[in-house]
Amino acid sequence: MSTLVSEPQAAQAIRIADVCKSYGDYQVLKNINAEVARGEVVVICGPSGSGKSTLIRTVNRLEEINSGGISFEGQDIHAPMGASELNKLRSRIGFVFQSFNLFPHLSVVENVSMSPIRVKGVSPAAAHDKALKLLDRVGLADKANSYPGQLSGGQQQRVAIARALAMEPPVMLFDEPTSALDPEMVGEVLSVMKSLAAEGMTMLCVTHEMGFARDVADRIWFIDAGEILETAPPEDFFKNPRHPRAQRFLADLRH
Amino acid sequence: MIQDFITIIQDYWLLLLIGQYPNGPLGGLANTLILSALAIAFAFPVSILMALARLSKWWFLRWPMTALVYVTRGVPLLMLILWCYFVIPLWTGADVPSFLIMLVTLVIYQGAFLSEVVRAGIVSLGQGQMDAARALGHGYMGAMRFVILPQALYNMIPSMISTFVSTIKDTTLGYVINVPDLTFAASQVNNQLLTQPFQVFLILALVYYILCWSLTYVANSVERRIARRRAGPRNARLPAEAAPLKTITEQL
Ligand SMILES: Nc1ncnc2c1ncn2[C@@H]1O[C@H](COP(=O)(O)OP(=O)(O)O)[C@@H](O)[C@H]1O
Ligand SMILES: [Mg+2]
Repeated sequence: MSTLVSEPQAAQAIRIADVCKSYGDYQVLKNINAEVARGEVVVICGPSGSGKSTLIRTVNRLEEINSGGISFEGQDIHAPMGASELNKLRSRIGFVFQSFNLFPHLSVVENVSMSPIRVKGVSPAAAHDKALKLLDRVGLADKANSYPGQLSGGQQQRVAIARALAMEPPVMLFDEPTSALDPEMVGEVLSVMKSLAAEGMTMLCVTHEMGFARDVADRIWFIDAGEILETAPPEDFFKNPRHPRAQRFLADLRH
Repeated sequence: MIQDFITIIQDYWLLLLIGQYPNGPLGGLANTLILSALAIAFAFPVSILMALARLSKWWFLRWPMTALVYVTRGVPLLMLILWCYFVIPLWTGADVPSFLIMLVTLVIYQGAFLSEVVRAGIVSLGQGQMDAARALGHGYMGAMRFVILPQALYNMIPSMISTFVSTIKDTTLGYVINVPDLTFAASQVNNQLLTQPFQVFLILALVYYILCWSLTYVANSVERRIARRRAGPRNARLPAEAAPLKTITEQL
């Protein structure tokens, strides 16, 4: 835990130290150690069931851990703390889900503006304006008054990204944001993510889109059976994967 | 035969409408409507609080409320009414009007039933909505208020309507503790006529039928209006394979 002392100006946006997590007897995360620097784009890849979702969900404490610690901008997010303190920390970590999880009872613009109003206390007028700007940025200004049920999957995921951005988080987490999409909609979501990366957003993305990983990522974490087996820049990872299981994973992907 | 109905209504419509009022307490249909409306108006928020208590991480909220719901649902309403009728004045030492006793009993009874509906509605929404709300920084209660309950309650409209309809029907049981409602008035009419119970109680049944049917009609059209606004078909509401929402571990 000594590695997690609070440093307000920590160079790392996220630092994961000795994290272990089990579901009952089954150990999902085995002694994970990794860091994400400010402005860095990290892609997590690995076979299905290897613990990618579990890992990324521990970063904003949607999942608890059994031991170790995770610091976000120098603050230990798994330390004992009051609910309001945790909510404040969480509101500064954007999260995009595989299944979008838009709020179906709210219109698109309400989806984006609701949390700034209710959580941050932004005035409704300001939140609405901001939401419209963000929707414009993800190319959905004309859908502001639609309901999620009226949008395609790709459009819903772009709204979900805008909704997360509305809280102005310094860090964005993505858990397979394109896996639930029809192939023709993958590109529109990835291009929003690319533009975010180009603007310097710190991003931690679980994705199987190896093209995105190659073009955008600064670093790849390869995870298998709950362990990070390799971390490398994409050019090294794709050309010379060192770990045999990473080699097998990449070979399987190419088929 | 038809003439009998017309005569009964002509002679007794005021009694059936407002009871002995203004010479006695307000009764008849007016009292039935007031009792039903108040019972529904209180049972609804009470049921939400009961559901949240049953889903609470705190045992001292969860256990007593679970016991109350089980007992209430396992006991005939008539027993509960009689029990409250004898026990509430004993406890309070006051002369509690039978109308109030009936109201309290109905609120507890229907609240317990409705709370099960609300609880199922919350849990069946799935974990994803709670996750999304928490990830945006909403607290448990904020997530409930702005994200979970608006959807859960909307999904539960059909079950809620049937509970509200049975609330209206259950007000008739106030008869046994002399609540001066429509049933009470009809029975007074019957006692005066003596020879036409079929006609009197058929009128009574018709009035209750119209009441319950109008409530169902209004509620259904409200539901349709919301559905049209969201342009989502009913069966698209629930995600197909949603994992049940974790309510206890979400409350830090
Ligand atoms: N709530 C849970 N209870 C028990 N086991 C779980 C739970 N969630 C995930 N797991 C298990 O943990 C492992 C890792 O899951 P996950 O993190 O979702 O993998 P990935 O996202 O890499 O496909 C899987 O074997 C999965 O079955
Ligand atoms: Mg996953």
